[in-house]
Amino acid sequence: MTIQLTERNTITAAPRKREKAKLTSLQLNVISWLAPLGFLLIWEAGSRLGLISPQVMPAPSAVAATGWRLIANGLLFQHLGASLARAAVGFAIGGSIGFALGVLVGFSRLAEAVLDRSIQMIRAIPFLAMLPLVIVWFGVDETGKIFMVSLAVMFPIYINTVLGIRQVDPKLLELARVTGLSWKATIRRIILPGAMPSILTGVRYALAVAWLALVIAETIATTRGIGFLAMDAREFLQTNVIVLTILIYAAIGVGADSLARLLERQLLRWHPNYAKES
Amino acid sequence: MSAVFVRGLRRQYGDRVVIENLDLRIGEGEFVALLGESGCGKTTLLRALAGLDPIDGGHIDAPGKPAVVFQEHRLLPWTPLWQNVALGMETPEGRKAAIAALREVGLAGREEDWPRNLSGGQAQRVALARALVREPKLLLLDEPFAALDALTRIKMHVLIRELVARHRPGVLLVTHDVDEAVAIADRILVMREGRIAASYQVEGSTGLRDTLLQELGVESDTRAA
Repeated sequence: MTIQLTERNTITAAPRKREKAKLTSLQLNVISWLAPLGFLLIWEAGSRLGLISPQVMPAPSAVAATGWRLIANGLLFQHLGASLARAAVGFAIGGSIGFALGVLVGFSRLAEAVLDRSIQMIRAIPFLAMLPLVIVWFGVDETGKIFMVSLAVMFPIYINTVLGIRQVDPKLLELARVTGLSWKATIRRIILPGAMPSILTGVRYALAVAWLALVIAETIATTRGIGFLAMDAREFLQTNVIVLTILIYAAIGVGADSLARLLERQLLRWHPNYAKES
Repeated sequence: MSAVFVRGLRRQYGDRVVIENLDLRIGEGEFVALLGESGCGKTTLLRALAGLDPIDGGHIDAPGKPAVVFQEHRLLPWTPLWQNVALGMETPEGRKAAIAALREVGLAGREEDWPRNLSGGQAQRVALARALVREPKLLLLDEPFAALDALTRIKMHVLIRELVARHRPGVLLVTHDVDEAVAIADRILVMREGRIAASYQVEGSTGLRDTLLQELGVESDTRAA
């Protein structure tokens, strides 16, 4: 007896309807800009029609014109330079201290016992609450502002460095022992690269809080910097300058974040999660 | 000369004695498999031989530093393959040796590749290259093929036999796979309650497999031989 198989299940490769559905990433990119552009247009129109008072919110074109004027007379870059220098110096000092303490505590349980509780106590203080005290200590010159940025930056870097070092796979440390790796080589080849993803997370977070600290520190008795520009404008009710400074802070925040991403992509090329992103 | 000579070894965790008065000798180029149920002390013995754990009695005499291949490949993901193999000796000579070792395990030309691009079997071969490039007198294998699929495991068995025949280290393979032990070892030890309970020379005897299963407490062999 034979069994006739009449029904046949055939699967053929269907030509994909590509051109119909898929938008290119360029098109999607363009679309993603439509909403903010539309918002700007409505804002501009509202201002021109007198629906929005220039005292409350100047037109985008007015803000742009102010920006252009400050670029042309060099004031913008002078103040921007002062702000960036403060941020950079503060970040370097706070970052170095945080990293050094993090390495120390990460490696040594004794150092942890000695240092960690005190560091955590200081961390519990919102750094902005320190501001009056900082003014008393350092007056209103550069030192106080740099101190504020350093303080803000120190903790995220410290915590993530400790965490990164502690999370290094103990199996790899065992490997270091059986291959007879020296103490130095173990740190350089295994512990630091293993801790790097966590350290960079700390850097990224630190960049964000550094900026926050700077904005606050700069609004107090300054003669230079973006914060001064904003405070000075407030005195004279120059809303367009105030809006401009807010936009500059935003732009620099975005810039700092891209810098951190770039760093991650460069240093974590081996990491499957970051390799995909690029 | 022997690759390792162990006399009266004792190892305990607190009051619990894991290895008691254990003697072991592995000759140069000899391939010894160590079988035993979980918790019998076989991994403890390997870790003691590797110098990863201290010993509580007796002595271990081994020329030079033993090399270890673990169950997991333990490659550094942030480092290209040749640097993984040459770990701790990343000189131009070390690089040459690493490239040669990678060629030996069938990964010629992959020295600049990254661990994330390897299959499980390939990663374990790099781990083997990392062990062999150090020219150890004693090679310790801690269930290195346990996580591989059956086909890859058989290929690895062939490869490891070739490599051992060429480099002639003494080998101690810790495994719980009787067939693996019979397939690649010269001598099989059965460990029970911290001692070497039995020792068999492998000479292609078909009855050995059943005997070993009996030693390990598997009553009857239901699988067809």
